[in-house]
Formats: sequence, structure tokens, C-alpha cells
Amino acid sequence: MWRDTVLMAGKDLRIELRSRVVLHQVAPVAALLLVLFAFALGPDRAPLVAAAPGLFWVAVLFASVLAVQRSFALENAEGARDALRLSGLDPAGVFLGKTAAVALQLVVLEVVLVAGVLLFYGSHIHSAGSIVVTGLAGTAGLAAAGTLYGALSSGLRVRETLLPFLFLPVAAPVLLAGTRAWQSAMGIAGSGPGAPWARLLVVFAVVYLALGVVVFGPLQEAQ
Amino acid sequence: MRYIDAGYAVALSVLTGYAALLWRRWRRLERVAAPPQKPPAR
Amino acid sequence: MSAGAATVPRWSTRSTRVVRALGAASVLSVAATVWLGLWVTPPDQTQGNLVRLVYVHPPIAWVALYLAFGIAAVSSALWLWPRTRSRFWDRLAAASVEVGTVFTALTLVTGSIWGRPTWGVWWAWDARLTSTALLLVLLLGYLAVRRIPADADARARRCAVVALVSAVDVPIVHFSVNWWHTLHQQAVITPDLSPTIHGAMAWTLLLGFVAFTLAFAWMLVVRYRVEVLAEHLEDNELDVALRERRSEGPRAAEPLPTGAGAGHDTTPLVTTPTP
Repeated sequence: MWRDTVLMAGKDLRIELRSRVVLHQVAPVAALLLVLFAFALGPDRAPLVAAAPGLFWVAVLFASVLAVQRSFALENAEGARDALRLSGLDPAGVFLGKTAAVALQLVVLEVVLVAGVLLFYGSHIHSAGSIVVTGLAGTAGLAAAGTLYGALSSGLRVRETLLPFLFLPVAAPVLLAGTRAWQSAMGIAGSGPGAPWARLLVVFAVVYLALGVVVFGPLQEAQ
Repeated sequence: MRYIDAGYAVALSVLTGYAALLWRRWRRLERVAAPPQKPPAR
Repeated sequence: MSAGAATVPRWSTRSTRVVRALGAASVLSVAATVWLGLWVTPPDQTQGNLVRLVYVHPPIAWVALYLAFGIAAVSSALWLWPRTRSRFWDRLAAASVEVGTVFTALTLVTGSIWGRPTWGVWWAWDARLTSTALLLVLLLGYLAVRRIPADADARARRCAVVALVSAVDVPIVHFSVNWWHTLHQQAVITPDLSPTIHGAMAWTLLLGFVAFTLAFAWMLVVRYRVEVLAEHLEDNELDVALRERRSEGPRAAEPLPTGAGAGHDTTPLVTTPTP
């Protein structure tokens, strides 16, 4: 299974390196969201700084929908899906590989977004370790749940509207926990401790990775 | 008291309405699925 | 109860009699609950007449959040597990989700109506309301996936996954929103609606739970049967259409029940003539 994971992730990442769709299209849209939030919340820095963690995670949620859609658009190429089934790859490995590729792309995107938040909103990071841990855990959870639902909606005519509709409610706890954790890590007034939220994000990621591994195989047979 | 009446009214009408909907659907499907001698009713 | 490819689904007269009795029992118990709740029971010491919604809102919430959703989740898991896979579980899950959606929406509406005069607001972002609202969205997602035209097996797989993901997500949401309030430095405490129940109120509350559970059970069985019949028609609609054509002669055929159409990018096999 792990060998197939690496194979699958490698394939997806190599395609991304060559086509650079996420880098050239998804990342700018996410960054654009940060700019739009600035337009919405006013020229004063104060509301932006206070809302920065939430805005960041909303942008990440939005970007993860796009990244997952891209990940499965790859599989819709001529005969790609049949080739995938014939290849005999372990479905759990396919799931983990695709999740890993999406997660990696999201992490790169998040680094860009964090830079944007620091520069344009004027946020400060008090606890870098907390930022990194919760960021990774949250991203892993989003990638796992997103990939699972991405597989479910791939190939359907309604996939573009179905994926956000299914995925975003499920991603809500990540938004909540990520925002609270980053509020604490960015030293925003009135925020509680960040540690319980980090734990929640880890649990979320583990649960959805496990669920995906178990359920991805039966789901693939539906295509 | 108006709120309470509204609450009961909403709950009852929605449940009754849905029950009626289900019932009608059941009857209509049974008729359409009936053996071919009977022409299906509109 | 499952239908073969061509045999029309039929249920024994005894089971239909049970269903009818169930329906009658639900109507009677709900009516009794309403009568007792609105007129016979006394008003509460603190909440006054507002307490009367306790005979309606908590029972509906119990049915929606635990009974309907629980049945949907367990049935989906049983369908997904190869050893217990059977069309029965998929149909039961679909029926439970649909009826559960109605009850969930009602939970939110009755809760909101109760909250407005009690708290002064139509809505509050506390753990219960928030996770119930999220559950409604998740259930609507299931129904949306259910409606995508596909063969029964593919549809069942997708729906089962949605149900399981939802079952995992709702507790997580509930916990996180709970923490959200307790860990927040300026903690917002939403007053609990639970009044002190005693005497006639307790009996009426129990009756309320029984009544709405019976109503749910009746709706679940009927919705299940509707599902079986609808699937049977979907499988045989070509035969049905041909039979209708032959039996009605030159007149145009009745429009087919919905189900024919493309899910994946294929053109439908049968086009309905416009009447």
C-alpha cells in the first residue's frame, strides 16, 4: 500500500510540476481572496488583524476545494480512470497518494498565504511551532476529506457544485479549530488556549485518513 | 402564547403534509406498478 | 420484501395491517400529546406557557438526531460491509435520511420558535443548534447525491459514504462548538431550555416521545415501500412504457416516472414523447 501511495503521489505531483495549474491558478485565487477580504473589512488594520486567522482558513478551505477538483480532473483524461483500475494499484494507496499530493500543494499555498497575511494584514506570530503543527494537521484533514468526496463526485456532471456542497460542511470543524488555534498562536486578544484545538485537528485528520483508507476501495467500484 | 401556537401549528402541519405526500406517492406507485390489465391512472 | 426484476413488489396483508395500525396509533398519540400539551398540563413556574413546546421540540429532536440519523448511519455501514450487504439496508438508509431531514428541519424551526420568546433571539450559535443545522446540510447533501441518476449499486455506494462521513462529522462539530464556548474567554452561556418536569408534565413528555417515534416509524415504513416501488419501476420502466403503448393504442403514453436520464455523460436510452 505504501509503495502505491508514493507512486500515486509522485504521479500527481509530477503532473503539477509540469502543468503548474495549482501554482498559477489556485494560488492566485486564494491570494486574491485575502485582498478581497481587505476590501470587505475596511482600511483599518485592526479588524483585519483580529480576523486574520479566520480569513486565512476560509481561503484555505476555498483553495482545497479547487485543489481537489484539479486532482480528480486529472483522472478524467481519456481512459485514465480505466487505466488506473487496470493498474492494480491498492485503492488505499491511491487514496493516500492523492491525499498526500493535495496536502503538499496546499501546504505550499499556505506558506504563500501566511506571508500575505503577515505582510498585508500586519499579523504577528507568537508561537511558530503551534502554527506549523496546526497548519499541517488541518491541511491533512482537509486533504483527506476532500479527496474522499472528490472521488465520490468525480465523473459526474454535477461534480462542480456537488463537491463544495458536500465537502464544506464536513470541513467546518477544521475552520473552527484552525482559527481558534491560530488566534492563540498569533496572540489575538480574547482567544483561549490553542492546544485543545491542535488535538482536535489531529483527531480529525486521523479519523478521515482512516475512513478514506477503508471506504475508498468500495467507492472506486462505483465509477 | 402566540409562539406556542405557531410552534405546534408548524410541527403538525409539516408532519401531516409530509405524511399525506408519502401516502399519495405510495398509492400512486402501487397503481402504476400494478399488472398490465389495469391502465395506469394519471 | 425485495423485488425481483419483473415481479411487482407486494407486501403481506398482515404487514399492511400492522402499518395501518401504526398509522392510527401515531395519529392518536400525537393528537393526545397536542391536547394534553396545549390545554391539560399546567404552565411552568419560570417559563409560563412557553414550556408547552417541550412536548414537541425535544421528541422531534430525538427522532431526528438519534433515531433517524442513527438508523441511516448504521444501515449505510451495514450496506457497505460486504458480509451484510443487501438492498434492504440501502433503501432503509435512504428512507431514514429523507424522513430524518423533515424532522431535522422541524427541530430547528420549533427550537427557534421556542428560543425567540425565551432567549429573545431567533438563533444562537450554541453546540446543539449549530450541529443540528450542520446535520441538516449534510442530510440535504445525501439527498442530492441520491438524486443523481446512476445504477443502484453505484448510487448506494456514494450515499453510504456520505452517510458515514456525516456520522463521523456531526459529533466532531458538536464537540468543537462546545469547546468554542467553554474555552472562549468571554464565555457565552446560552440558557438551557430544560424546565423542571413533574407529574402530568412528565407523562405528557413521555407520551410526546412515544407519539413522534410512532409517527417516524410509520413514515419510515411507507417511505421504504415507496423506495422499493420506485426502484422497481425504474428497473422496468421500459417494459411498463411498452405495455402502456400497446394497451393505449394510438394515444400518447403517460410520462414515465423520473429516473431515466444521464448521470455520467451518456444520452438517455428512452426519450419520453411529449403528451
